[in-house]
Amino acid sequence: MARAALLERLGGGGPTPWRTATVREVVTETSHARTLVLDVPDWPGHRAGQHLDVRLTAEDGYQASRSYSIASPPELDTVDITVEEVTDGEVSPYLVEDVVAGDQFEVRGPIGGHFTWSADQRGPLLLVAGGSGLVPLMAMLRHRAARASMVEARLLVSARTADDLLYRDELPALQPADGLRVEITYTRAAPEGWSGFTGRVDAVMLAEVGPPPAAMPRCFVCGPTPFVEHVTTLLVDAGYATADIHAERFGPTGG
Amino acid sequence: MSEERHIDGNGVGGLLAEVLAVDPTTVRRRCSNCGDVRTLAEHRAYAGAAMVLRCPSCQDVGVRIGTVGGEIAVDWRGTFLVQRQFV
Repeated sequence: MARAALLERLGGGGPTPWRTATVREVVTETSHARTLVLDVPDWPGHRAGQHLDVRLTAEDGYQASRSYSIASPPELDTVDITVEEVTDGEVSPYLVEDVVAGDQFEVRGPIGGHFTWSADQRGPLLLVAGGSGLVPLMAMLRHRAARASMVEARLLVSARTADDLLYRDELPALQPADGLRVEITYTRAAPEGWSGFTGRVDAVMLAEVGPPPAAMPRCFVCGPTPFVEHVTTLLVDAGYATADIHAERFGPTGG
Repeated sequence: MSEERHIDGNGVGGLLAEVLAVDPTTVRRRCSNCGDVRTLAEHRAYAGAAMVLRCPSCQDVGVRIGTVGGEIAVDWRGTFLVQRQFV
């Protein structure tokens, strides 16, 4: 192949510039998490599961950037991020406590083609979320809803308490309900009268929730690093194919 | 090496996009130590003086990303082969 033609084909992604995002709306999700609905001119579109970088610049020129998963499906005209506040963080306290509609900051994205799912791809899906690791998985389920996809999808969310659970009202109402199963496990305290799972995700829980390894589901696991290491190990031990297990970790530092 | 101090290559995607004109997280690299071929997204990412990506199979250092003289520099140490599908 001619060099120019090869470069042209390889250059499909192009550089990812910083763009100015304007906050259209702020939605309170929990006592320490908010969704920011963003207008981003010239946003090139994204796939469910991708993330973006937010960059804040202080008056003295100091800059800090952090990655946040995109919560909205590709079908919306806004780009929504759900941010959970990290105590003593540099960026998230501002995004969760201070930002109001009309504020602007820089974003770069979308980023990450590895941790994505499209309704054009096969299922079934096994989605496992730890805490705010639910955000990119929610984008996948919202995309499934927007496309009225009947792909079989199972979601297991690990949350400390009901007050920590993101999208608490939307989760039980996700459509199409056919083929969809949403389960929550509370690791610290379950609501009064709760009859679902409690405690850390374990092999028994996954066996009850997930399509079995024989169904060859695409597995997406997102959460803090220890959670992801734990769950991916359980999945491998249960016989799920390594190539079908997609993981995204976020660390204890930063925020 | 602590089990909890790393993230993964997904979190380095924006940084690497500064120098690569492709989606960095889907680029596959073959480890020169163990021979495994894995996407950068699957690599373990450790933040230190430089960002270091380690092979998820053998933990050998694969890619180092740092700033040198005001420029971003990517050192593909321990890499035999970088692959990416045509789009």
